[in-house]
Amino acid sequence: MSARVTVALRVNGRAYERVVESRRLLVDFLRHELQLHGTHVGCEQGVCGACTVLLDGEPVKSCLMLAPQAHGHSITTVEGLAGRGELHAVQQAFRDAHALQCGYCTPGFLLAAVALADHGVALEGAALREELAGNLCRCTGYQNIVEAIERYLRQAAGGRRDG
Amino acid sequence: MDKLPWLGASVKRKEDDRLLRGSGRFLDDVEETLALHLAIGRCPYPHARIRRIDAARALELSGVETVLIGEQVVARTEPITVLRPFPGSAPTVFHGMAHGVARYEGEPVVAVAAVDRYVAEDALELIDVDYEPLPHVITVEDALRPGAPQLHATVPGNVVVESTVRAGEPDKRLADAAVTVDGTFRINRVSGAPIETRGVIARWAEDTSTLELWASTQTPHLLRAQLAHCLRMDETDVRVIAPDVGGAFGLKIGVYPEDIIAALLAIDTRRPVKWIEDRTEFFRGAAHAREAVHALTIGADRDGALLVLRDRYLIDLGAYHGPLGPPLLTSIMLAGPYRLHDAEIHRRVVLTNKVPMGAYRGYGQAESNYVREVLVDRLARRLGQDPADFRRRNLLRPDELPFKNVSGATYDSGDYARGLERALSRVGYETFRTRQKAWRQQGRHVGVGMSCYVEFTGYPSSAFLGRTGARFGAYESVTLRMDRAGRAALSTGVSTFGQGTETTFAQMAASLLGLDPVDVAIHRGDSQGTPYSVGGFASRTMIAGAGAIEKAAGQIRDKMLRIAGHILDVDPAALEATAGMIRRRDDPSVQVSIQRVSEAAFLGHPLPPGEDPGLEATAYFDPPSSAFGYGTVVAQVEVDARSGEFALQRYILVHDCGTQVNPMIVEGQVQGAVAQGIAAALFEELVYDRETGQLVNGTMVDYFMPTAADLPAFELDHLETPSPVTPFGIKGVGEGGTIAAAAAITNAVCDALAPFGVDLDRLPVTAESIWRALAGARAKG
Repeated sequence: MSARVTVALRVNGRAYERVVESRRLLVDFLRHELQLHGTHVGCEQGVCGACTVLLDGEPVKSCLMLAPQAHGHSITTVEGLAGRGELHAVQQAFRDAHALQCGYCTPGFLLAAVALADHGVALEGAALREELAGNLCRCTGYQNIVEAIERYLRQAAGGRRDG
Repeated sequence: MDKLPWLGASVKRKEDDRLLRGSGRFLDDVEETLALHLAIGRCPYPHARIRRIDAARALELSGVETVLIGEQVVARTEPITVLRPFPGSAPTVFHGMAHGVARYEGEPVVAVAAVDRYVAEDALELIDVDYEPLPHVITVEDALRPGAPQLHATVPGNVVVESTVRAGEPDKRLADAAVTVDGTFRINRVSGAPIETRGVIARWAEDTSTLELWASTQTPHLLRAQLAHCLRMDETDVRVIAPDVGGAFGLKIGVYPEDIIAALLAIDTRRPVKWIEDRTEFFRGAAHAREAVHALTIGADRDGALLVLRDRYLIDLGAYHGPLGPPLLTSIMLAGPYRLHDAEIHRRVVLTNKVPMGAYRGYGQAESNYVREVLVDRLARRLGQDPADFRRRNLLRPDELPFKNVSGATYDSGDYARGLERALSRVGYETFRTRQKAWRQQGRHVGVGMSCYVEFTGYPSSAFLGRTGARFGAYESVTLRMDRAGRAALSTGVSTFGQGTETTFAQMAASLLGLDPVDVAIHRGDSQGTPYSVGGFASRTMIAGAGAIEKAAGQIRDKMLRIAGHILDVDPAALEATAGMIRRRDDPSVQVSIQRVSEAAFLGHPLPPGEDPGLEATAYFDPPSSAFGYGTVVAQVEVDARSGEFALQRYILVHDCGTQVNPMIVEGQVQGAVAQGIAAALFEELVYDRETGQLVNGTMVDYFMPTAADLPAFELDHLETPSPVTPFGIKGVGEGGTIAAAAAITNAVCDALAPFGVDLDRLPVTAESIWRALAGARAKG
């Protein structure tokens, strides 16, 4: 057993406060305390990236963090990309390029891609593949994921130039 | 029938919106109130007697509800049934939990149900299990030695089955052959490794006295049948629901021990019981695949006509015969796409103290393709022929099809040589050979390798499966129902695990009913409310499902035309259903909407005299034949002849899966299968230590599933020869991409290193295995 601590944080812009065991993983906190099931668990070994969320805008593997470590921070999960409205540009790019099959790894890839765009990184080809090596997909063979993210990053870069 | 409007259209997937928003519902997203959470204690030894289990301290821990041990499981359940036994197999008694003796590292020995997983795992640490380690066997060769440890009293000598397939006069042909080559090949043990692990939630429904089981499965109905049998219940009292499944690849077929454990605990505690497999458990509990050792000989005449094939192979089954177990397709497809009449195939299925083997995408076909295609290259080299020329000469021609191969499979259609030529021209084969010489003079070792395959997709009838002892059929089924708004609801027992069935089934139904695919809602994966179904595996869903949809939609369409004819006062034979309307073929202005026709069926008026209300049909379709896809892979590699390191520079696959329902989804399926083929060829291997019997690399850190950075961009090309023996000419496509990878890459490496006379004979192909082969060749040379 471990001590119970208060975790207060913002997720997708909304403030939450919960009292949890200090050993609670951040991903379990998001999924089972906050009922945000879009963030998935694939390995709990920090390899597959299915649990990737943004912590203050940086991609992190939420299976490798304890919930209390997120205290005071701001988190974005897949639910924060579009809500129920129109798909976010990265989601649309994935749909258009058939970049998902079972969809289990998809939220992690989406957030990894958003982090790249937010940092103004416009990679393609082999360089982008290297950048995505923190997320595993077993269904697609990656080709369509790479295409979707290339398309999205180009679009995001164009948006910044226009804006 | 007119051309179907949505057949062959790259319709965007119906599944995507929810999955992209994180609104998909996977197993662990199902949160039952008051659920208990399971942690399972697993045998840490490869083989051990369980002398005593002391759970007293665990039961005192706050939050622990109960503990289950193997003695209880064995007393209360039947052993796990085999869905497709290898004919003649001796039984291995496989229970939901080990009792007395555990036979592989990872076999469930004790289970704890507690208020959450954290507490359940705390409790496991408080349970003392007194083990007496027993001698173990890790390799098939060790298992066959006289005096080897025996795994099951029912299986003397650890050989579950030994049998031979013979065609023609193999001995005579071997004697006649001008040239023969042989090789012994080791195929690696790998895992399908979906990103979502397995999981189950069992709930006893007090109100109906039924068991509900949510499971991450490809086969809800088969799981229900097996589970009911194991629990000694009637199937009607068991409901299995598959939510969104996060990848499956053959690994999620049939019942697993944990399903039985969760069900028993739900029945005992009257509370929902949830078990989510963690990745450490996954590598020690979910089916492994592929591992085999082949000793293959092939022979040809002086001109290079393939005469004969003889294979003696051993399949490493692991510790039990699971629901599927060893592949039969290894033997059935060993002859491949070649003109071959004489063969002898001898197989033994052997027990070892490892995780039980199961199905994995390409099941059996990847194995036989690898050994045959690598040896074909050696035979061509021995004959002094170009490997492409050798294949050109021996590939079956379209006018030779249908062709019954040496194992009895009947190839239906295709132009195998065309696939080969297309792939060779894509790599610029003739030019490449010229350049290769120049590169060699510069000390660069670039090689091209090819591998041709023909692929068994679907099953040739339920009767065929019955003759081979299978406990399932070849059919698929749907219920189609129109609603008052003129939309269709399609119910299928096939679950959704990435294959796009929701979209392709909707395309078929929409085409046949005159609707848009968005107007076809899909209900799937729930044994309650869907007709009996076999499930999604063996590249069979689209073939069998399309036949069922054709029949059900045909019945509904005919009835809609009759009702519309009554409303319009027109002969139904003059009407057609299209774009949401029923209209006269020769005068489209005479029309009524499908919505109004559906409403009439729902209200019961106006209807033609004698017509029953409702627009609903259930249909089953049992395919009479399998359909055979085919293709060629050409791979290009450059190898460093000092270190063995190499780069996969190009990967070309030309394939033919018959009529494509949705080309976008077909392309995605092929790309994904190619990635898994390359993964098993180059990166992945479950390694057991022979001395300790332990799995050495059972984490995602140590089992090298490829990332985006590890794979090249694939070059795909499609041929489309409709099958003459299936609905709409559809052939299966899910698995083909895995089949030819290992041989193509192996052949490319050997081609690059031809000046050194290097032969490779094991998977995966790694820098180390190449370096060792180079060292061996140098020592010989």
